[in-house]
Amino acid sequence: MDGSAQGGPGLVLIRNGKIEAVRSGANLTAPAGYQAIHGVFVTPGFIDTDTTTGISGAYNISADQDQDESTDPNTADVRVRDSLNPQDLLYRYVNSFGVTTLQVAPGQRNPIAGVAGIFKTVGPQSGIATVDQLALRAESAMVFNLGEVPKETYGATRKAPMTRMKTAEIIRHALLDAQQYHAKWEKWQKDGSDPAKQPTLETKSEILAEVVSGKLPAIFAAYRADDIDTAIRIGTEFHLKYAIASATEAYLTTDAIRKAGVPVLLGPVMQAPYTHETANVTYENAALVSQANIPMALMTGYEAYVPKSRVLVFEAAIAAANGLGLENALRAITISAAKLLGIDGRLGSLTAGKDADVVVFDGDPFEYTSHVQTVLVGGAVTYQRTP
Amino acid sequence: MGKRGAAVLFMNRKVTIRVLLLAGVLLAGIGLRVGAQSPSATGHVTLAVTNAKILPVDGPAIERGTLIVRDGKIVAVGDAASTKIPDGATVIDASGKIVMPGIVDSHSHIGDSGNITVSDGPDNNEGTNPIQPALRVIDAINPADPNIRSALSGGITTANILPGSGNVMGGQSAYVKLRGATIEEMLIPGSIGGMKMANGTNPKGYGSRGQAPMTRMEEAALARGIYEKAQQYKLHWDAYNKAVAAGDKTAKAPDPDPGLDAVVQILDGKRIVHNHTHRADDVMTVLRLSDEFHYRVVVHHGTESCLVANELARRHVGVSYTMIDSPGGKPETINVDMSCPARLEKAGVKVAFNTDDPITNSRLLLRSAALAIRGGMSEDAALKGLTIYPAEMLDLQSRLGSLTPGKDADFVVLSGPPFSVYTHVLQTWIEGQKVFDRSDPADLHYATGGFAVGERYPKLNVVAPAAGGAQ
Repeated sequence: MDGSAQGGPGLVLIRNGKIEAVRSGANLTAPAGYQAIHGVFVTPGFIDTDTTTGISGAYNISADQDQDESTDPNTADVRVRDSLNPQDLLYRYVNSFGVTTLQVAPGQRNPIAGVAGIFKTVGPQSGIATVDQLALRAESAMVFNLGEVPKETYGATRKAPMTRMKTAEIIRHALLDAQQYHAKWEKWQKDGSDPAKQPTLETKSEILAEVVSGKLPAIFAAYRADDIDTAIRIGTEFHLKYAIASATEAYLTTDAIRKAGVPVLLGPVMQAPYTHETANVTYENAALVSQANIPMALMTGYEAYVPKSRVLVFEAAIAAANGLGLENALRAITISAAKLLGIDGRLGSLTAGKDADVVVFDGDPFEYTSHVQTVLVGGAVTYQRTP
Repeated sequence: MGKRGAAVLFMNRKVTIRVLLLAGVLLAGIGLRVGAQSPSATGHVTLAVTNAKILPVDGPAIERGTLIVRDGKIVAVGDAASTKIPDGATVIDASGKIVMPGIVDSHSHIGDSGNITVSDGPDNNEGTNPIQPALRVIDAINPADPNIRSALSGGITTANILPGSGNVMGGQSAYVKLRGATIEEMLIPGSIGGMKMANGTNPKGYGSRGQAPMTRMEEAALARGIYEKAQQYKLHWDAYNKAVAAGDKTAKAPDPDPGLDAVVQILDGKRIVHNHTHRADDVMTVLRLSDEFHYRVVVHHGTESCLVANELARRHVGVSYTMIDSPGGKPETINVDMSCPARLEKAGVKVAFNTDDPITNSRLLLRSAALAIRGGMSEDAALKGLTIYPAEMLDLQSRLGSLTPGKDADFVVLSGPPFSVYTHVLQTWIEGQKVFDRSDPADLHYATGGFAVGERYPKLNVVAPAAGGAQ
């Protein structure tokens, strides 16, 4: 499927890691010189818009948990690219279910958690790919966390934040500092960039200045409707380019979200509601948000225990079967996801010129009993089912 | 119905308005259920579900069949053309629908782990002593927990509710129907429940506090210790009973011990051990203990059980399998593999599916079996793994697990094939009473989620809370 076309019988031609052409029609045969892969259902590679897979390892022991630097509520200066382990079992596992691109985001504990990045799951070449080889955008967004988790993390030992008020205040304070910092440096440049008068370098404000100046997008993780409203309040005040992630109760506050013009990345609904703020999780969230004409994609987020990672296509299947429908659910993990991450020029549809990230199924991609037959990343087979 | 509502209010005396709304919803839902069936002139309550595709489990599928229920029991199952519907029966035309037996969840923590909206925390792990056979999960189950109602929306009618896996011997489980305002009403008459045991990672939690068990060796030693103690306890009671029977008036009764009484029931074959275990070597430890003390055991979770499938098959030990979406979360589950149930099936091991709710959600147990089919299992084994096999693992096969005349009329009406993601559970029935109906908006929100939201939820028909309920 591409951005507009309906599904139907067809042929996808791949050359040099890119999609060369897409032809529709029955009884098409591969031209000479092409290796043929047959399937019942062919989709673009899936894009997980927000996950800790790759930095929160499968074993779930301190040795492989690198998602939460919960030593300071403001860790704006940490970057996922410095934690990411593409050799982690789960990173490879999700690829076998068709996930070819992930925005890997820091964990849930810090009000200002650090910088996310967008990466392919597997490199196009054989052998071990480095993080930077996998990166589409190694620094893609600043992650802010609202709601229950930050205040539980710090409040337990009577450190700030122990209330939602303080979480919001910490974020606003840091963004106001970043605005001033940004202005200070602009003034210094305007005044001739005298090295003797250079302002003091502040690593956290330095990166947050990119956020307040609109160069680096922001992601606000928020679950409860009032926390979603807080995200909108802060996003509006600072004129941020932002999205709301997880958004468990988005379906309750669709008017406010639509009015703010903010897209949402919807969290997994099969996750057990271990927190109060996710108690109202519904399988219909994606359908209701979609019906409200809010730009939307799906994400898998963070899993604390068993299972250690959600599988994007499984979550999309639940959405598909609960009001969203097959085509919209497919969009929510392909083209809509690519658009919201700003990578739709390269990914998200089977369109000539885009990366040959392709998933081949032996049936409806969302049916429990279907199989992923083949996954290609950049035209290379990264997973092949052996029945 | 009032009783159940009252129970909700009692459990939440210091509650917020949100929880009271929930109580209102519960009352409304129950109200709809009562009156679904009333006795006819003959004094019997008779129900006929007809024109459905019936999956009886004890035989081949009936393409267009009729199920006849009288007074909560199945009295006939057969082809619609040849099965006579009794006069006065309430007839449900289920054309285009599929009817299967009520799903039996062989491992759940609904009601004892606590839905966050009604709970002050889980009540399933008494982490103060690794051997606690005297604990009864019935003393921890909250029948008003909304997770129980959610489970009905997934077609579950019977559950084995177990204590947690933090202890080597964690307490007595309960075999319940998912209905009733009290645990006594939920319990299946005549059943005594099983015994929860666990090995591997979880009981080693004591080790981090410098207490035993700190190793798998000690876990097994503790288990052997309690069985040896129970053997001696049984010996003393047998000797005492024999002396009394012989007319010895001076015989002194041993000190009663309710925990050891329960372990003796295991040794006597009356109580089945439900053993949480993941790694293959831990499965073998389970088998080693059951071999030594000759007790009946079911392997639960069984992440690596397929690696020792032949050992299980030759002992006729079944696996109650938890289907997990991805590997890890702890090292002993790193080899999660969707093909494991299929490999067990091929080796001749009976596999049941469980939710381990909250680890997987009770609304999704059909999904777990479907994913096993994805992993290579037959549809027949997957269906049996939701019905008759778990019933056997709870010693309840004579009354549950198939649509067989004489058994309880526990059944599920599905909108389509049982293993499709697009299929919804439309109705769930327990002993001839409808306990879930997707067409009822209040019930629907237990199927989709968001039941606690009250009037904010766009589709929820909120019923005002009972007068005086807001203290």
